[in-house]
Amino acid sequence: MLTVRFQSALAERPAARLSVLTLATILVTACAGPGPVSTPSPAATVAQASSVPSAVASGPSCGTDPVKLNAYFETGFDLPFKLSEEFTKQYPNVTWDIKQDQFTNLMSSTPRLLAGDNPPDLIRLPSMVTLVKDGLLKNLDDYVTAFGWDKFPPAQLAQNRVGSDGVRGSGSLYAAGLNYSLTGVFYNKKLAQQIGMTEPPKTVAEFEGLLAKAKTAGLLPIMAWNATASGGGLAFPLQNLMAAFGPTQPINDWIFQKAAATIDTPTNLVAAQHLQQWVEAAYFPKDVNAIEYTDANARFGKDEGVFMFNGDWQNAVYDKDMSTNVGFFVFPPGQAGGSLAAMSAPLTYGIAAKAKNADCAAFFFNWVATNEKARQIDVAVGGSNPGGPPDLAVPQATAPVTNETLAAGAQVAKDNGAMDFIANATGSIFAQGWTPELQKLVGGKQDAAGLLKAVQAEYAKELAR
Amino acid sequence: MPGARAEAIDRRPSRRIPWVQGIRRQTFVGWLFVLPALLFYAVFVLQPLALTVQYSLYRWDGFGPATWVGLANYVSVLSEPKLLETLFNAFRLVLFFSLIPVALGLVTASVIHRVATGRLGAVSRTVLFLPQVIPLVAAGIIWGRLLSLSGLVNQALAAIGLGDVTRAWLGDFDTALPAVGIIGIWVLLGFCTVLLVTGMTKIDAGLYESARLDGAGWFQEFRAITVPSLRYEIGVCLTVTIIAALAAFDIVYVSTGGGPGNATAVPGIQIYIIAFLERQVGLASALAVVLVILVLLVILPIQRLSREAGR
Amino acid sequence: MRVARRELYAGRALLVALVAVTILPFLSIFTTALYPSGSVPSGLSWPANPQWGNFIEAFKVANMTSLLTSSVFIVAAVVPLALVISTMAGFAIGLLRIPGARLLLLLFVFGLTLPFEGIITPLYFLARQIGILNTRVAIVLPLIGLFMPFAVFWMRAHFVNMPEEITEAARVDGASTWDLFWRIHVPLARPPIASLGILMSVWAWNQFLLALVLVEDPAQRTMAGALGAFQGHYATDIPLLCAGTILILLPTLVVFILFQRQVIAALLQGSVKG
Repeated sequence: MLTVRFQSALAERPAARLSVLTLATILVTACAGPGPVSTPSPAATVAQASSVPSAVASGPSCGTDPVKLNAYFETGFDLPFKLSEEFTKQYPNVTWDIKQDQFTNLMSSTPRLLAGDNPPDLIRLPSMVTLVKDGLLKNLDDYVTAFGWDKFPPAQLAQNRVGSDGVRGSGSLYAAGLNYSLTGVFYNKKLAQQIGMTEPPKTVAEFEGLLAKAKTAGLLPIMAWNATASGGGLAFPLQNLMAAFGPTQPINDWIFQKAAATIDTPTNLVAAQHLQQWVEAAYFPKDVNAIEYTDANARFGKDEGVFMFNGDWQNAVYDKDMSTNVGFFVFPPGQAGGSLAAMSAPLTYGIAAKAKNADCAAFFFNWVATNEKARQIDVAVGGSNPGGPPDLAVPQATAPVTNETLAAGAQVAKDNGAMDFIANATGSIFAQGWTPELQKLVGGKQDAAGLLKAVQAEYAKELAR
Repeated sequence: MPGARAEAIDRRPSRRIPWVQGIRRQTFVGWLFVLPALLFYAVFVLQPLALTVQYSLYRWDGFGPATWVGLANYVSVLSEPKLLETLFNAFRLVLFFSLIPVALGLVTASVIHRVATGRLGAVSRTVLFLPQVIPLVAAGIIWGRLLSLSGLVNQALAAIGLGDVTRAWLGDFDTALPAVGIIGIWVLLGFCTVLLVTGMTKIDAGLYESARLDGAGWFQEFRAITVPSLRYEIGVCLTVTIIAALAAFDIVYVSTGGGPGNATAVPGIQIYIIAFLERQVGLASALAVVLVILVLLVILPIQRLSREAGR
Repeated sequence: MRVARRELYAGRALLVALVAVTILPFLSIFTTALYPSGSVPSGLSWPANPQWGNFIEAFKVANMTSLLTSSVFIVAAVVPLALVISTMAGFAIGLLRIPGARLLLLLFVFGLTLPFEGIITPLYFLARQIGILNTRVAIVLPLIGLFMPFAVFWMRAHFVNMPEEITEAARVDGASTWDLFWRIHVPLARPPIASLGILMSVWAWNQFLLALVLVEDPAQRTMAGALGAFQGHYATDIPLLCAGTILILLPTLVVFILFQRQVIAALLQGSVKG
């Protein structure tokens, strides 16, 4: 679901920090493969030895013997399925045992899967820190050197690194991005024209002017989702507003759980107040608390709603539903000429610490980032930037809207405006904080100030555990 | 089972040795007969139940070491507004899952009993019972469609001129819980009705005859004969439906997931989320223990009352 | 019974209304399932061009063959074994009246009130510990245990009402306890055993929580468990979701309509007897 990159975090809860960490260190060195120092674990050695006899000479690969990759993908997204098909075409000895589940289910099941008897070689990761602490994820540092990932732009890998102190952003690599998403505002070109929008708004005020015009014209200004099953989608516009009225750094600090970080800041309050005004002005559908992610997109595709806050992973679907009628812009800054900011995150996949075919899985990651065909699929199906080495060009997109999002991504990168998602700050901040509180905001049971206070309280409670 | 065997020995009729051996043998064989069922029950129900109690006294994330915290988890369950709210919601569901189906079931049953002993009665019994046999998940999906903004319920309301009240029933703070409750009524009404009709057929027809000779109408009959004679069946209905309400999971999980806000969050959903998403196994277990105790506290008096009244 | 005409009509009207309200939801998903895949039909209307192919499509995309196999496996593993051991236990408690029978009965009856949520968390960790997590066995074994309270209670209710003469006559003929059970009483208990079997099959089919927690792969779950995953998968395609829902609940409806006497009797008497 939306949840895609949005909700990442299963349980980034530093429960009993010290003891768990100590244990994690033991686990990591004992059975989870290379720790921070990159000593190959017995398990990893066995896997390498058995599946890829010639690995020593030519680097990790899938070898030539039949390999069956045990994979868990996220239901509703074609990209990994298409990539796996293409991979098998190129490497016929590799077949797939693919299971899939909804993202919300994956959030609760990933630790169980990783710890189970048949640990996945490849799995869509909803979160990392706790999994790393529990020694459930394979440390990918060896592959970084083996495949030369250290030559990728460092920012690409940073979000998938976890330090020994359990803080994300630096340290050892524990996951790979199949691609790198960008979020912003999609708009229905026909309806936008109807309200006189000739070019993307340059400030929040301009955007709000358009919302008001849409409302007066009898159109739904913003299509959105906010039902429990998909999670509170209003976190998208909220975070965009936060980044428009304040700097991105404190938001990222909060997400990465830096000490003393808070979401309850004066500029965030302004952002939340704007969101509350939008709610009160009925800019969102009246049943938004019952709309799931897929419903919202289907309705947007049927011309309900002028704008929709979403990410480029949805490009392929929008292109199919609306073709040339859909456009995209990055949410405007508070002041004209201000720097652009957007939520942007890797489509994160990891390898279980005990995976049988870790080398082959890592080889797959490398293939996705570097193979021409794979990169084309990434852009055409996934809609996002494939990342990879800086000297490889981003393939041309077939969907027009994808070219818009790719161009916008370059702008955001230039302004250094990338943020992770506020929903990913801790394991259950989305389910227990943002979603219910945003729903209450919609239902008139919560105001802007109370929203931030309640979420911060939940955040503090989770970190204190 | 040394305790049980001791009991057997105590009860043996004295002196008649061969008999005693027969009895002891039979006791032994009898226990062998019970053993497999008891084993499954003990290993997969009683043991986990004991473990739930044990977990509830610890702080544990399911992977790392567990820390003894005594009753702290129970204090959380009974003091954190969010968790208390789930218990409160469970009791609000009782109104819909239990009281309404039983009341409506009584009326329906007495109607079937009086005016539709033939084909209509048989057909309505079968149809009313249908929702009881389908997966609750399916009931949740079906009603999720019906109660949506563009669903049948709103269309029907608009058609009779109530367009103003249409809304996403499951997404509105004021109506989400009653809307979930309506799904429960739909599922449980048939069970109550059929059980009560069956009970009514056992009521002495002479009672009704004499009541009618006294000129009693439907309601007097209902109040003076039907309800009192059915106390036992009513007790059973209440028991089954109250458990369904307090332990609701499937319907809520599928239709609202506990939202909006915490408007439909019930203990079952929170136990699942806290145990497997938040990974606070101890807290989830404490909530589970509280739920088990609540069910017993509500059910036992009903059982007592209905058993004293019936038979 | 003589009933006033007015009451007759009012009563029948009420019944017809209730029947209609009960059946409308089924009709509504049925008609919705016949709309072209991908459309968003609303309310209750017969499509201009019914797409019966949606059922085939839903069958394919939901991977129904493997789901059916999985559910049938679970039912086939749970029900016969649960029937045998609960009948034996019911026989010992209700007919042999072994010492401690009352206590045993009480112990099992306690289980009738136990919400599954009360034990689901430890069940997960137990399954992980024994290494059956994510296999169907993880659903099968606990399900047998969880069925025991009702099944033993139900079988005991049958045996406790059997006339003692039968047992005594057999004893006089020198039948062993096993003979008594297997040759005499099991044949006599066929109707309640059959009802219980049907009931447990439906319950196993419909079991959701165990499947959700103990098995990750929807293809290894029960039908109801898989339906949850299917819902997420095809939430946009409402006709297809409805078609899938119908396919999944259809077997329970068929079983119910074929055996409704037994199902109703079992559900009702199971809760009343004793």
